[in-house]
Amino acid sequence: MVAASIALLVLWPLLELVSVASEALDGPGNGSLVDPMANTALVGAGTAVLATILGVIAALITERSAVSGRQWLRLGILLPMLVPPFVSALSWLRAYGPGGLVDDFSGFELPGLFGPVGIVLVVAIGATPLAYLITVASLRTRAERDLELAARASGARPLTSLRTITIPLLAPALLGIAALTFVVGINAFGVPAFLGTPASFDTVTTRIYQDLTLSSRPESFGSAILLATGLVGVALVLVTLAEMALGRIDAVPRRAVPSGHSGTRSARARLLTILVWFAILLTTVFPMIALTLVALTRGVGLAPAPANWTLSNFSEALDGRFLGALGRSALLAVMAATTAVLLGVMVSALRNKLGRVAGVTALVSFALPGSTLAVAVLLAYGAGLRDTLLLILIAYVAKLWAVGHRSISGSADNLPPDLFHAARMSGAGVRTAVRTIVLPLLSPALLAGWVLVFLFAFHELTMSSLLYGPGTDTLAVAILNLQQLGDVQVSSALAVILTLPLILMAIPVLVLGRLPGRLMGTG
Amino acid sequence: MGRCLLAISISILTAACAGGSVEADHESLTIYTSVTRDTVDAVVDGFESTSPGTTVEVFRAPTGELAARIAAELRNGALEADILWMTDPISIQQYERDGLLLEWTPDDLEAVPGAFRTAKSFGTRVLNLVIVSGHTLLDPPRDWADLAGVEGTVALPDPGFAGSAFAALGFFALDPGYGLQFYRDLESNGAVQVQSPGDVVNGVAEGIYAAGLTLDRTARDAVDDGSPVDLIWPSSGAIAFYSPIAVVDDGATSTAKDFVDYVLGAEAQTAIAATGWEPIRDDVEWSHDGDQQTIDWEQAFDRQGELLAQYREIFDG
Repeated sequence: MVAASIALLVLWPLLELVSVASEALDGPGNGSLVDPMANTALVGAGTAVLATILGVIAALITERSAVSGRQWLRLGILLPMLVPPFVSALSWLRAYGPGGLVDDFSGFELPGLFGPVGIVLVVAIGATPLAYLITVASLRTRAERDLELAARASGARPLTSLRTITIPLLAPALLGIAALTFVVGINAFGVPAFLGTPASFDTVTTRIYQDLTLSSRPESFGSAILLATGLVGVALVLVTLAEMALGRIDAVPRRAVPSGHSGTRSARARLLTILVWFAILLTTVFPMIALTLVALTRGVGLAPAPANWTLSNFSEALDGRFLGALGRSALLAVMAATTAVLLGVMVSALRNKLGRVAGVTALVSFALPGSTLAVAVLLAYGAGLRDTLLLILIAYVAKLWAVGHRSISGSADNLPPDLFHAARMSGAGVRTAVRTIVLPLLSPALLAGWVLVFLFAFHELTMSSLLYGPGTDTLAVAILNLQQLGDVQVSSALAVILTLPLILMAIPVLVLGRLPGRLMGTG
Repeated sequence: MGRCLLAISISILTAACAGGSVEADHESLTIYTSVTRDTVDAVVDGFESTSPGTTVEVFRAPTGELAARIAAELRNGALEADILWMTDPISIQQYERDGLLLEWTPDDLEAVPGAFRTAKSFGTRVLNLVIVSGHTLLDPPRDWADLAGVEGTVALPDPGFAGSAFAALGFFALDPGYGLQFYRDLESNGAVQVQSPGDVVNGVAEGIYAAGLTLDRTARDAVDDGSPVDLIWPSSGAIAFYSPIAVVDDGATSTAKDFVDYVLGAEAQTAIAATGWEPIRDDVEWSHDGDQQTIDWEQAFDRQGELLAQYREIFDG
């Protein structure tokens, strides 16, 4: 049954896509597809370089130097994960764009924010937590602290030990990170839609959106299908490469590594700490403040001072129709998270070949570009389910069950199988054994997986913007449409509503979640 | 706290599901529209309260997106909409000529001026294209011709994106007094193209552009919000066009006709005026700011492709 549901969710839509794409290849009007492809490659490459560098630097600082407040710093670096990419793009516009907060006060606007430079900056900052997390994991498993310490003891300076020991040991991981962040870059839709389209900078994903939702030419559907197929091909090749490079990380058994840094706190460490906090402030916190200030201001072009503050943008943002969109986003996110976690549990329970195959498919569907998946789901199920929430839910689950699976499978592998077998031998049915043994042991991982999928689905724009219909628009789609119509203030208010409450809720959860680990000295 | 959150989530979920379910004894009506959301909401709420048992489902999207959806549905079979309610008279012309729309006579047909209707589509409100200018401009433009002499950057909405911007292009191109030379002069004075009339007003308010061409309500809203802009009614007259509504031929239920009759009636027209748009009926109160001029929109539609291509040569070439 698990295999069947995965096949229905992912494989059938993709097969349908490929078969239609091969027919569309002969279609007319495919000549103008070169530009978006080149632009996409540029965004992917830029994102890969920038996010890898930022992620590695951040990881080296938090894991290999004597910074103070390490836990808080780690959380701060992960902060961009809580901001949907298109909200990030909006907030950068309000902070550093023409007429933005910085422009108001100093007359400075970030050159090239509309276009490739801005897109790469914003996408890369969103991808940095991913690069950071993988680097941290690799530092713990691959770059053994003993070797670095030996080099230092033999007289190597910190940078020499970094250059000759740490970086070479990390090399395969760096390759994997670069490949994964490249895929994040080429799959990005929200950021190029907000920052590229006004500058006529089309990427493959924004072109698919235009072909499907903005063009009435019959042949544009064919070009969307071609682009979607090309995108998925590139993404799959890169993710396979990344998996090969990173797979060894999981394979290396964890050693008893002295965690953190044992050296004394130095002035340099203090400087590094301040530097990282400053970067977080500049790239994530300040733009969100600018976005909130615009949402609070009475009219465009007024100074965001208390005299001009109003809640009217928020009350407009919370009126009936938008509330419906907010509710649909929440409903979809809850259903997607629950379904994804259930699927993840079932896949993890299959400790056989099928389970392993499913694990690989999980990675594939996470790497699947949302645009491709939406086109494929539309082809496979559009005839019966067009314009329904169910169609969007299918796309969400197809994309996100991998997240649920990944966060569960790690814990599932560490489950002592004896307990399960013992329960079975004592006469418990499979269901009872799962309910009484597996689920309680897995519940922290289940919760984490659920929250992650909820977050992704709640913030999702790429697929819902291609699949929504009358009465099924999500909050993210409502923001995209408002922004296209030039409504700066209500779109800002909606973006704040979509993002800020979750950040405020997540911080205590994250802090509390970390605390037990710290108390036990393992954090 | 917990109970409060629960109550909020339940009310949100109820709102979310309200659109989806239709009970058997209920009439349901699907409207495809590019009209501003608050205006549609006000009219639909009024209609629902006067005809209990009718559920109205609204799909609202920008003009281009709506056209794409309609084209896709026509390829797949039939249009799902019972009613099309568009922003400008040109974007509905194609459907009118393709025979998608019903020819009929609404109750209050005579309340709609002859220039603002056809046999199948009827004006529901009047949109005026005007000039918006920033407070910093020392010598603000007074008429269309002055725009080319503005000291600073002038912003224009994109006629490929916004129906209102194409209405402007149609007006200037077909009026012998302006012609496409109007756009050439603007371009050589450094004018730039942005996406929507809203973008024009925002850019002027933020001081990025000195002045621009936009819609009356968009500019008036900004002025009312206290943004540093002025609405300038061109001395030769604002360009007036109408926002048409039509019943889809195969969706022609009596409910669809009832809705159009309601929109053209005094109650809905008052609601439309309350959201800042000039009503189509002259018996509904409205303070007119100045003269208006208009053109034959069917003629503008005939030359749509050609005009857009010529415009692109000026602004993209």
